Amino acid sequence: MVSTDQKTDVKEKEADCPVVVAVTSHAVFESGAEDPDGLYVGGIAFPLLQALQKVNERLLKENPAESLLFDVILITTESQQQQESSRITESIRHHGLKVSRFCFSNEEDFMENLLNNNVHLFLTTNRNEALQGSQKGVLSVLLDEHTASCPTEQLRVLFCGDAVVQSEAGPALASKQAAQSFSAQIGKMRGRFGPFDSPISIALVTSRGGRESCGDALRTLRSLGVNADEAYCLAGVPRGPIKRLLRPHFLLSECFSSN
Amino acid sequence: MSLNNGQSLNVGGQDFTKNGGSSSRAPWEDARTVLRPSTPTRKPKSPKPENAITIAVSSRVLFNMEKEQQIYEQQGMEEYIKYQVEHETEPFSPGPAFSFVKALEAVNAKLRELYPESEELFDVVLMTNNHANVGLRLINTINHHHLCNQCPCIQLIFKDNLCQICEPGIAAAIMFTPEKMKEVSDTQLRVAFDGDAVLFSDESERICKAHGLDKFFEHEKAHENKPLDHGPLKGFLEVLGKLQKKFYGKGQRMDCPIRTYLVTARSAASSGTRALKTLRSWGLEIDEALFLAGAPKGPMLEKIRPHIFFDDQMFHVEGAAEMGTVACHVPYGIAQRVVKKGTKDKETPNASK
Repeated sequence: MVSTDQKTDVKEKEADCPVVVAVTSHAVFESGAEDPDGLYVGGIAFPLLQALQKVNERLLKENPAESLLFDVILITTESQQQQESSRITESIRHHGLKVSRFCFSNEEDFMENLLNNNVHLFLTTNRNEALQGSQKGVLSVLLDEHTASCPTEQLRVLFCGDAVVQSEAGPALASKQAAQSFSAQIGKMRGRFGPFDSPISIALVTSRGGRESCGDALRTLRSLGVNADEAYCLAGVPRGPIKRLLRPHFLLSECFSSN
Repeated sequence: MSLNNGQSLNVGGQDFTKNGGSSSRAPWEDARTVLRPSTPTRKPKSPKPENAITIAVSSRVLFNMEKEQQIYEQQGMEEYIKYQVEHETEPFSPGPAFSFVKALEAVNAKLRELYPESEELFDVVLMTNNHANVGLRLINTINHHHLCNQCPCIQLIFKDNLCQICEPGIAAAIMFTPEKMKEVSDTQLRVAFDGDAVLFSDESERICKAHGLDKFFEHEKAHENKPLDHGPLKGFLEVLGKLQKKFYGKGQRMDCPIRTYLVTARSAASSGTRALKTLRSWGLEIDEALFLAGAPKGPMLEKIRPHIFFDDQMFHVEGAAEMGTVACHVPYGIAQRVVKKGTKDKETPNASK
């Protein structure tokens, strides 16, 4: 019989810092699309940003002095977008999105910007960018069209508990630490709310192994200070239906990688 | 093991308290789980897709969680979770569905011996309305009881608000806990079914309720050769029959590890004929048919000792439970006292499955 370790590894100091999320303009806006006013139209990451905002609103409602909030930065990753800075800021304002900083970088220097800004989570629709981020130790998540149909009222995070399942961006040692750190922050945020009506929902899926695998994953999460709301031990059953049901904004698997 | 084209039966749980009333359900918890229809998740590679028979069981019927349920009701969710986590290493004791699941395992073991390559086995899914935090205690309990060692893919689903997982158009059954459970076989799976509104539709029951018993007998005699329409549990009988044939194929007719029973208020002399003819027309066999002609089912079930008994009328469910049989209420048909339109729509049987 195994009991769980309740200790978390999160330092108090770290826990109160905002969670910096960098998202590329390509992810936020639909490329090539314009509305009648010449502003950009919302893209894949739109619902995700709205959900992040929702979480912030609710966190502040619980505690107006809350400092553990999402801090969203918009980053451009190519020269063409770099030129469109005013259109981008206008579009952001128009859509009512709250972005604290704009980093107008290009292909060469965007990584530097990520690192300089102490980004905890990097969201992109570009596989290369995600790989680069991952290699530099930044937790990078590749968004796809599924993200576009996710809810805007609740942030849904899905942890994939099998080491076999790696994120699209590929494994990286430094990335594991970043993932654990980010997960701990998410866990802490989740803890600000009760069991019901939370603006964050955390789910765990283990795909291959049996219940031991699921148990281990639950314990790993717990050691990071993350209490999952839902857990699915699929034991070989295809993941598709569960993913469609849960509609997570993004998946995290680096916490469980074997290295 | 794939859910592809599998027949599914979910058995939900609700505690049947000792003084006769059913315990109140917490609003967030719908103890009734539902049959999942076969959902083709991907194209099968081989020409004949193998079927796993998926049975989902609520944790509250697999294990005894009465105490914890009380804590939830009296002290709220947070205290409940706290309690569960504090007692994480203490296994739950078995609930009413425990022996049923053990029997499924026994069948799996024998099927494996005879057909080592086949995937046509029972596949158990544990579904629970519990918060994922309770998951570890459940996993520890499963390990403690050596449960599902023969079900390689026990899948676990920890989520509240289970209704989201269950799709409409599925049959449902609520399992009740007898005060004192009678011992059942651990080598032969025994499943007992009521006839009308369980295996068959409730069409005849409607006549009985509307026009009385005499009219019912008349009607049944007149339509003896017309098969009844199917009911919500027909599919389950069908898959059991399919597995039975696999045993017969290997010469195990006499001591087949699966046995099915029809326990009906119909009488052998008259209305029973239509029931048997209907089963035959469906190509289904039932091992024993008990025509009680209106007599109480409890004593008969006590003799048969099924692991599980399905009936649409609470009167019979209660009667069975009183005599130690694990009985499930199928909330379908005219017999339901409270007919909610939404619920009924949810429970339309899925014909082709």
